[in-house]
Amino acid sequence: MTQPLNGRRILVVEDESLVAMLLETILEDMECIPVGPASNIDDGEAMARDTVDLDAALLDVNVAGRQVFPVAEALKARGVPFVFSTGYGEGGLPEEWRGATTIQKPFTEAAVRDALMKVMGVAQV
Amino acid sequence: MAAAFEASPNPYLLLTPDLRIAEVNQAYVEVTGARREDILGRPLFTTFDAGPGEDAPENVRQVRASLEKARDTRQRDHLAVVRYAMPRKLSDDQEVFEERIWSATHTPILNADGEVVLLLQHTMDITDLSPAIRTDEPTTALDALIGGSVLRRAQSVQEDNRRLESERNRLVEMFMQAPGFVAILTGRNHCFQMHNDAYSQLIGHRDIAGKPIRDALPELVGQGYYEFLDTVFETGEPYEGRESLAKLQRTPGGPLETLYLNFIYQPIRDEAGAVVGIFVQGHDVTANVLATQRQKLMIDELNHRVKNTLATVQSIAIQTARSHIDPATFAATFQSRILALSHTHDLLTRTHWEGADLRAILEHETEAFGPTRINLNGPATALPPATALSLGMIFHELATNAAKYGALSTPDGRVLIDWSLADQRDRKLKLVWREIGGPKVTQPDRRGFGSRLIERNIRHDLAGEIDLVYASHGLIAELTVPLDRTPAP
Repeated sequence: MTQPLNGRRILVVEDESLVAMLLETILEDMECIPVGPASNIDDGEAMARDTVDLDAALLDVNVAGRQVFPVAEALKARGVPFVFSTGYGEGGLPEEWRGATTIQKPFTEAAVRDALMKVMGVAQV
Repeated sequence: MAAAFEASPNPYLLLTPDLRIAEVNQAYVEVTGARREDILGRPLFTTFDAGPGEDAPENVRQVRASLEKARDTRQRDHLAVVRYAMPRKLSDDQEVFEERIWSATHTPILNADGEVVLLLQHTMDITDLSPAIRTDEPTTALDALIGGSVLRRAQSVQEDNRRLESERNRLVEMFMQAPGFVAILTGRNHCFQMHNDAYSQLIGHRDIAGKPIRDALPELVGQGYYEFLDTVFETGEPYEGRESLAKLQRTPGGPLETLYLNFIYQPIRDEAGAVVGIFVQGHDVTANVLATQRQKLMIDELNHRVKNTLATVQSIAIQTARSHIDPATFAATFQSRILALSHTHDLLTRTHWEGADLRAILEHETEAFGPTRINLNGPATALPPATALSLGMIFHELATNAAKYGALSTPDGRVLIDWSLADQRDRKLKLVWREIGGPKVTQPDRRGFGSRLIERNIRHDLAGEIDLVYASHGLIAELTVPLDRTPAP
C-alpha cells in the first residue's frame, strides 16, 4: 500500500545529527524524500530558497544557538508549508509564530506524519 | 534708633546668639521688675527660669525652641501664647512667682554677611486678656466672645503648628531617607520640587531641582513616562507602574541603563480639589526582574536540553533496533551507547560544562581493552561540551567496531591514536585512529548505524571532516574538527 505522503520532498533543519537521522528514518518509512538536513540557519535558508522541488519542511526551532525563523520566512515567502519541532512546545514560540503547527521532542512517527499531513492539507486515510 | 528702642512702650529684649541678655529697654524692665544692671550679660534662662511651677520646664522649652529656631533658620518666629511665670517682690522682700501669659515674637538681626548677631524678643503681657487661660473657671459666653476664645484659638493654632512642624520634619526626614525613591512634582510641567536620596541615586545624582521633568530627564522621551504624568495631572487619576522598563542615564555622558521600576504617580490636590502636582514613589526592582528572567531562561534551557537529549536517546533506540532483531543484543548495544553518552556528561559536569579533556574521553572508551593494546599520543586538549559529547559517541562506535570486527577482535591487534592541534588561534584537532595487527579488513557492503553516526556527527554537528579508510591491514579513521567555532547549545 502506498503511503499518503509518498514521494513528497521534505526539508529537514536540525542541528543534532542523531535527531536528524531519526527524522530521516521516519520520513523514509513514510516514503518521503528527505532534503538536507541543514545543520545551521544559513544552510537552511539557502536550501529553503534554492531547492527547486520542496513540498514541506521540518524545522527545529533552536538551531546551533540561533532561531530558525529566517528559514520559516523564506519558506512562507514561496508558499512551502512547515512544521516546527521544539523541546519548548508551542509556548516557546514568539508571538508572531504562535498557532504554527508544532511537534514536541521527543516525537513519534505518528506525530510527524500527522503534522506534515495537516500543513500540506493531505486528508487522513 | 537706640532712643526709639529705649522709649518704646513695647518691651524689648536683645539676646546674643548664645541666648545671653545683651540689652533690654525700659518697658521690659518695667514688665519684668528686674534691674538692668543685674541682668545684662547673663543667660536668659537662668535670669528668668519661669519659677518652680510644674509647667515651668515646658514653658522654658517653648521659648528656647522659638529663639533657637529664629537663630538657626534666620527667620522670625512667633509664639502666640506662652505661659511664663515671673518673680515678683513682695513688700517684705519675699519673692513669689506669678503666672503670666505672654505673646512673643523673635526676630534675628543679621550682619552684612547674613550671620545672626542678635535676637530681638518682642513680648507682650497678655495675662489680663485671657482669664480663661489663667484660671480653670468655666468660660462665659462673653469671655469666649471678647477674648478668651480668640486667645484659646490662637493657642490651639500654635499647638497645631508646632505639632505640624514636628510632623513635617519627621515626614521630610522619612521622605529623604526612605529606601524607595520619592519625588514631588509641581505644576503641569512636572517641575521637581523635592526628591530624596534614592531618587538622586536612580538618576545618577543630576541637578534636577526646580526643573521640569522633560528638561531634567530628557532621555525619558518616547518611553511613556511624560505622558503618564500628563494624564495623571489632567484626569486626577493615579497611575501605577509594575516592573516598568525605564532607560536612564546614571552617569554623566554614560550609556542608557535599563531598569525595571515599580512606582505610583499620585495626584496632589489643593484645597479646592484641583490637581497641583504629583507625588512619585517607587522602588527599583531591576535585580528581581532580572533574576526572574534568568531563572525562566535557565528552566527553558534545561527543558530544551532534556528534550533534545531524550530525542537523541530515542534516535539511538530506534536506529539500534533496526540492526538488532535479537532483543538481547539490542539491549546490550543500546545500553552501551547510552552509557557512553552518560559518561561524557559526567566528564562535563566535573568542569561545570566548560569542557572535557580529549584523553579522558578516549581512555574511558578504550579502557576495557587494557593499556598495552591502546596507544594514546597527543597533547592535552580541552574540548567544548558539544564536541566532547559528539566525540564520546564517535570513539564509542569506533571502539565497538574494533572489538567486533577490527584489531580489538583478536588477541594481538592494537589501536594507535595520535592527535595534534593545528593553528593555535583557530584551533583544529587532527586525530588519526589506526588499527594494526587485526584481521584482514574489507570494505563493508552496507553502512551500519555506527559508521553513519560517525560520519554524520563529524560533518553535521562538528563541521569537521572524516575519512574512513578500510585498508586491508586495518581501519584508518582520520578526522579533523574545528574547536573554536561558536558552540552549539
